[in-house]
Amino acid sequence: MPDNGAGKSFYERVAAATPGGDVLMKCLQCGTCGGSCPSGADMDSTPRQLFAMISAGMEDEVLSSNTPWYCVSCYYCTVRCPQEIPITMIMYTLKRMALARGHYHKDAHINWSKSFTNFVELNGRSFELGAMTLFGLHNPFAIVKQGGLGVQMITKGRMPPVPERIRNMPQLTAILNEAKRIAEEEEV
Amino acid sequence: MSEARIGVYVCHCGSNIAGTVDVAAVAKWAEDLPNVVVSRDYKFMCSSPGQEMIETDIKELGLTRVVVASCSPHLHEPTFRGACSRAGLNPYLFEMANIREQDSWVTTDQVEATKKAMSLVAAAVSRVAYQQPLESLFVPIDPNVLVVGGGVAGIQATLEIADSGRHVYLVEREPSIGGHMAQLDKTFPTLDCSACILTPKMTNAANHQNVTLFTWSEVEKVEGYVGNFTVTIRKRARYIDEPLCTGCGVCQEKCPKKVIDDVFEAGIGYRKAVYIPFPQAVPNTPVIDRDNCIFFEKGTCKACEKFCPTGAIKFDQEDEIITLKVGNIILATGYDLFDARRIPQYGYGRLENVFSSLEFERLTNAAGPTLGRVVLRDGVTVPKSVGIIHCVGSRDKNYNNYCSSICCMQSLKFAHMVKERTGAEVYEFYIDIRTPAKAYDEFYQKVLGEGTHFIRGRVAEVTDAARQPGEEGKLIIQAEDTLIGKQRRIPVDMVILSSGLEARADAKEVAIKFGISCSADEWFIEKHPKLDPVATMTDGVFVAGACQGPKDIPASVAQGSAAAARVMSLIGQGEVEIEAATAIVNEETCVGCQECIPSCPYGSIEFLEDKKKAHIIEALCKGCGTCVGTCLSKSITLRHFTDEQLVNEMIGAMQSMKLFEAQDLVIVE
Repeated sequence: MPDNGAGKSFYERVAAATPGGDVLMKCLQCGTCGGSCPSGADMDSTPRQLFAMISAGMEDEVLSSNTPWYCVSCYYCTVRCPQEIPITMIMYTLKRMALARGHYHKDAHINWSKSFTNFVELNGRSFELGAMTLFGLHNPFAIVKQGGLGVQMITKGRMPPVPERIRNMPQLTAILNEAKRIAEEEEV
Repeated sequence: MSEARIGVYVCHCGSNIAGTVDVAAVAKWAEDLPNVVVSRDYKFMCSSPGQEMIETDIKELGLTRVVVASCSPHLHEPTFRGACSRAGLNPYLFEMANIREQDSWVTTDQVEATKKAMSLVAAAVSRVAYQQPLESLFVPIDPNVLVVGGGVAGIQATLEIADSGRHVYLVEREPSIGGHMAQLDKTFPTLDCSACILTPKMTNAANHQNVTLFTWSEVEKVEGYVGNFTVTIRKRARYIDEPLCTGCGVCQEKCPKKVIDDVFEAGIGYRKAVYIPFPQAVPNTPVIDRDNCIFFEKGTCKACEKFCPTGAIKFDQEDEIITLKVGNIILATGYDLFDARRIPQYGYGRLENVFSSLEFERLTNAAGPTLGRVVLRDGVTVPKSVGIIHCVGSRDKNYNNYCSSICCMQSLKFAHMVKERTGAEVYEFYIDIRTPAKAYDEFYQKVLGEGTHFIRGRVAEVTDAARQPGEEGKLIIQAEDTLIGKQRRIPVDMVILSSGLEARADAKEVAIKFGISCSADEWFIEKHPKLDPVATMTDGVFVAGACQGPKDIPASVAQGSAAAARVMSLIGQGEVEIEAATAIVNEETCVGCQECIPSCPYGSIEFLEDKKKAHIIEALCKGCGTCVGTCLSKSITLRHFTDEQLVNEMIGAMQSMKLFEAQDLVIVE
């Protein structure tokens, strides 16, 4: 049975929506996650602070925080966490919750995520050039700053100029559709 | 057994049992079981009124059998057997039903738990009617004691017992006694010099008329039981004739082979292939390290032999096997330091100036490789800033889940030493500062006052990759300062890792050798964590110091004394009671096949050549029952665990199921 979490605390809903999320209550507040995070300097709250806020029930503040949107899924925090808390997964949960509520920090974050997943759904691989171009349509100013770097990366062979596609795309499409179906069911 | 008169006593154990099991219903239900004369429930059966209740009933109601439904027999079987004895009932006519560990603690459903308690009581009632009175055997206790491990805990235990006039055999694996404490410079919180307080004890232990010291030796085999252990010790060849050696040190001086000393000097100093680990070593007799000696490698050299003034070098010496008789054993085998290489992001073993805690101890030690100068790995540069990282390998599910208990105080001590020796800026990175013992928090206050920077945050990584100006050529410690909520990068010259404590790598093997148990973290398990902290589940085997769990010096010494007191109490009793539940051979049916003899793990079965029958030596038999299963002619019976008793226990349990169906049992939750 999908659980829409009615009547549960914010903390309980975050834990329930994250695989293995129930260990969140064991957070020591040691700061290994925040110390390890390559985007830590840009986050308005470190992951550790978010966990304290989640446990304090500060739902609006947490869901409008930029922290989950700056997560680059490098998994440093998850690997190093002494309490084995699936921190990256919790960031995904918070992003989903913020999206569902239209409650996210800035349009730019959601636009970037959509641009990125658009190409994954299309080709089964990310396509940086395409994602950046698509993102640039929504945020022309942001993209102008990055242009020079992009040209350098293409000339040095660090970024392919044309998209690559995986071999069995229909299979991935079927998986993604099934995942979306489950997600929609859970939102009800 | 219709004549048995059985009393049943159901214990609440406060809320431990009564919280889940309807104890009154169990007692009421037991009234109708066969042969039950009286059935009661009581808050704490083990308390004085509870025991008196049993004694009174035995005398007034003429009970001939007693069943107590309570906790594990490990905890209180001796208690209730004692109550029976005092009322004149043979203690083996008592039976215990474990409705706590095997029921209320593991069954959450109250109805199911109550039914299970009823079944367990029915089984015990059915069994107890068939139990026979048995007489315990008393054997004398050998007053000699074996202490394994010559660290501060082992030395303390040794001296306590030796001073009381009993003989102690102290066995140490390394060439010298002293353990980890001998490696330290200062000890917290008083900053006494470690050597000044330890070396006199080492000398006392070695020179004591009641102590026989075996260094460079290990226990190979332990046989027997409390009061009567036979211990086999392998005294490894030192290649030095101990009586001839004067400890002059010429061999060490002349030996051309330099070896990195990764034991005593924690890898930051050298020793020779023939060596005394440190100048204050006890005994002051060197050993030749066979794996590194040029003579053993290439067949030539013998420099030590040429220069030895007393001709004490003996290259043909062999390991000696020594057999000892002792009555009690104290294990004080200590700990291993957590190997920080296992946490790659801290850079130990990769980044030059990241030090382990023991390396830093040797660095600050006045007798260490730098004579106490705190310098970087180059041996010259004095650090201007030092970072100390707490909880390395501790409080971390990826490594060790437990708190190593000494590291906070050790780190504070390091901060003080760095300040004192170099005047450098010191940064302590911690999750929590734990200073719970006497004068410990005062030490923390002192270090705070010395201007050490405390950053609350577990370190994410140590790197030499500079990102900002001021970081070039430094080690950068990156962490979240959780009190500010910001990531910080602190450039330092030296990093000290306050590594945690781990059980010895061979702790499991040692535990098996001595017949005791290890926890999941491989620390030795004490008999009771609060009330019997130095005894083990094996009578006559005690533990002291860090082998039982992370411990600092004061706690290790206290345990050394405690274990010695427990041993002396046993010696004082003069004899020990041996469990009467032993195996017995029916000589009429024994065919003399001798199959049982190798099956016995305690070597307690002998073959009577004249009768051609097997015979069990009761004092050695532990009542495990292996021989009963092995015997082809079913001629061996285990007293107190006879077929009749076990079968009736099962019948009792199964009949209770039938009763549940017939009675359509209703239990109010």
